[in-house]
Amino acid sequence: MTDLRSEPASAQAHEIILRFEDGVEKRITVAAGEYVLDAALRQEIALVHQCRSGSCSTCVAQMMDGDLRMDPSRAHSLIPAEIVQGRRLLCSTLAHADSSVRLDYPSDLLEEAGPKLFSATVEDAAMVSDTVVRLVLKAPRGIDFAYHSGQYVRVKVPGTDQWRSYSMASLPRDLPKLEFLIRLILGGAMSEYLTARCEPGDEIEVEGPLGAFILRESPAPHVFVAGGTGVAPIISMLDSIRRRSGVKPPMLLSFGCASDSQFFYRDEVELRAAWMPQLRLRLSADRVEDPASGLVQGNPVQVLTPEDAADPDTVAYLCGPPPMIEAARRRLNELGVDPEHIYAEQFVAS
Amino acid sequence: MGVGARKVAAKAVSPHREYEPYLEAKWGLKNHWYPAAFTHEVPDKLVKGVMIAGHEIALRRGKGGKVYALADRCAHRGVRISKKSMCLTDEHLTCWYHGFTYGLEDGVLKTILASPDDAQIGKTRIRTYPTHEKNGMIWVFVGDEDFKPVPPLTSDLPMRVPKEYDPNPVAFILDDNTFVRGIHRTGDSNWRLAVENGFDPGHVLIHYDNVFIAATDRKLALGWQPKSPEAVEVIDLPEGPKGIMNRYDPHLNLYNYINENAVTGMKVYGKQEYYVRTSMWVPGVLLVEHWPVTNWAQYEFYVPIDDTHHEYWEIIVGHCNSEEDRKEAEFKYTNFFEPLGLLEFNNRDLFAREAMQDFYEKMDGWNQEQLCKLDAVVVGWRKLAARFNRGIQAPPPGADRKD
Ligand SMILES: Cc1cc2nc3c(=O)[nH]c(=O)nc-3n(C[C@H](O)[C@H](O)[C@H](O)COP(=O)(O)OP(=O)(O)OC[C@H]3O[C@@H](n4cnc5c(N)ncnc54)[C@H](O)[C@@H]3O)c2cc1C
Ligand code: FES
Ligand code: FES
Ligand SMILES: [Fe+2]
Repeated sequence: MTDLRSEPASAQAHEIILRFEDGVEKRITVAAGEYVLDAALRQEIALVHQCRSGSCSTCVAQMMDGDLRMDPSRAHSLIPAEIVQGRRLLCSTLAHADSSVRLDYPSDLLEEAGPKLFSATVEDAAMVSDTVVRLVLKAPRGIDFAYHSGQYVRVKVPGTDQWRSYSMASLPRDLPKLEFLIRLILGGAMSEYLTARCEPGDEIEVEGPLGAFILRESPAPHVFVAGGTGVAPIISMLDSIRRRSGVKPPMLLSFGCASDSQFFYRDEVELRAAWMPQLRLRLSADRVEDPASGLVQGNPVQVLTPEDAADPDTVAYLCGPPPMIEAARRRLNELGVDPEHIYAEQFVAS
Repeated sequence: MGVGARKVAAKAVSPHREYEPYLEAKWGLKNHWYPAAFTHEVPDKLVKGVMIAGHEIALRRGKGGKVYALADRCAHRGVRISKKSMCLTDEHLTCWYHGFTYGLEDGVLKTILASPDDAQIGKTRIRTYPTHEKNGMIWVFVGDEDFKPVPPLTSDLPMRVPKEYDPNPVAFILDDNTFVRGIHRTGDSNWRLAVENGFDPGHVLIHYDNVFIAATDRKLALGWQPKSPEAVEVIDLPEGPKGIMNRYDPHLNLYNYINENAVTGMKVYGKQEYYVRTSMWVPGVLLVEHWPVTNWAQYEFYVPIDDTHHEYWEIIVGHCNSEEDRKEAEFKYTNFFEPLGLLEFNNRDLFAREAMQDFYEKMDGWNQEQLCKLDAVVVGWRKLAARFNRGIQAPPPGADRKD
């Protein structure tokens, strides 16, 4: 393989074809030294993205042909195997030739539910464990707000100018109710609000929906890997699967928390498994203090086995802290899961 | 409440949530087989309309007498096609109004009597439903058109009773050499109340003073009270039926038969010990083995129509290996099983379900009910239906207007 770093960046503009999941194609021109995402946005083509700095992975695309390279001067979150397979983070990708990429979301994803700004009310905030709060917001009636299971919103921490991102654990059909699972971080702005100031009736600014971490239709086995409050969008996805038409796929949820005493929502995930015989659970904790807890020792990635991904068409949904996502991608790659069938949301500091 | 997130109890899941999907299933379970009509109700040259779980369905015979089921709403102006039968060929279903004519096999618009060169032809369609006909009954697979593969009808019927469960198994409704006859009628209650009445071990009280019981001197208890969890068995056959059985088998001795009540002095007068066994199967099919008499069986189907009505099917099934058997079965059915069993005896059941409807429909009954020791099997059924349904039927468009 050529050493990418030694080659000079392309000095001319190139045409890039963007192929969306729904078959729609759009063409953009990318200037010399310009990132593909920036070029698309400049040409008013909405692409899913978030951090614009190579870390969150939301802007990931699959190169089909041509020559697209990650900017060698930027750190990014792709693993080498993914680069080889043609995965690119468009926010940090430079064009060296006319190329085409495939995007794993429909072209109207951002149009149909373009982010809205509205003010919601706190209906409830409950500690579901020592470190996790379930926040229930109520959106105002009559606003044009819809989303897909897996997406998130940004909320403004009351009394501050800070915005934080949270994934919905509830279903679109539960609107106007929006339910979140939020991990408390010592000294965190949102955490401080939730533990010390939050009261039912508080007004909270919300912007959304955002994100391309959405459920796809596939009859193939589904593997869900959730770390901590990363289980929030997964719960919404499981509930969507339960309610949608057609035959349900075989599903595995590998859900882990730091310790058994911090494990939360166990009864909720067990309910989903009781309602859907197709769903298997693997519940783990890094530290198991009480062997009677029945939790597997380890993290939700370590406990994955080759049998879990035996079907070559397996699709995987990962959500949690960045190191877990990276480990899960690596592990699923090893187990033979097609990187294009791995969808992830990373809870980076927002 | 003070400021900051409130603390909640460690175990916050209410028992109702264990069967939450069942509570959502006001309009029934979808992607299941349901009986739609008796064979004799769909003669040639008739379009028969039925409603199951909010689906309006037109039944009609085609080539070779095969029964087809199609959506019973014309794509043109939305009338029910079954409102007036217009049968022109054995390959088409024609709407009586302007003559939209659909293929029985695929539901595609093949011609319009009043507009034969219309641009709509070949472009529009009405949906179709899989059907099965056997032993005088027509079944339809009701649910999503894209639910593939369609599971076998046997997965939505009671299991064929194996020898381990009964050395003298009753007949199976789909078998050859089987006598199958019965009735169906509409009950004014939600389908779930019908199911829950059907095999409730406490409900035998409503049959206490029934002529059938008194005339046969049967010792039918005031109530059958389970002694232990083994009294109720969940049966989960891979790819097959899912059911829950009251193990009334005498040799197992798992129930207390309550034959008198000390406080009121009420007691059972019948002397004849009698063995039956009941089981309930997803999507709501009751099997009563050895009923109305030993070696016979009664099947009951509680087919959701809409959120406040169900079609109550009562079917007598028996072994029948010769013409002589058939004549005898006809005689018993006509002069005993139907008048005394299906009508006289089961009228009490219909009465009880309809009496529950107001409470569950208007007074939040699902949350207000206070279940007792008798009801373990009812809760068991709810969980079973919550787990093994192939989908919860959503109300048809416009159905919730009145709410
Ligand atoms: C797309 C997206 C969806 C998200 N969804 C959820 C969700 O559903 N539930 C949820 O609990 N969180 C979610 N997060 C993370 C969340 O947005 C906040 O970052 C987190 O709640 C911390 O907010 P805070 O105001 O309490 O702490 P802050 O005031 O932001 O931070 C306090 C300190 O903690 C560090 N820190 C912040 N976040 C993290 C982190 N995730 N890991 C390690 N250190 C951190 C900060 O760097 C800082 O030093 C999501 C993030 C993204 C990008
Ligand atoms: S937007 Fe490209 S990695 Fe975050
Ligand atoms: S309404 Fe049926 S043909 Fe016009
Ligand atoms: Fe009864």
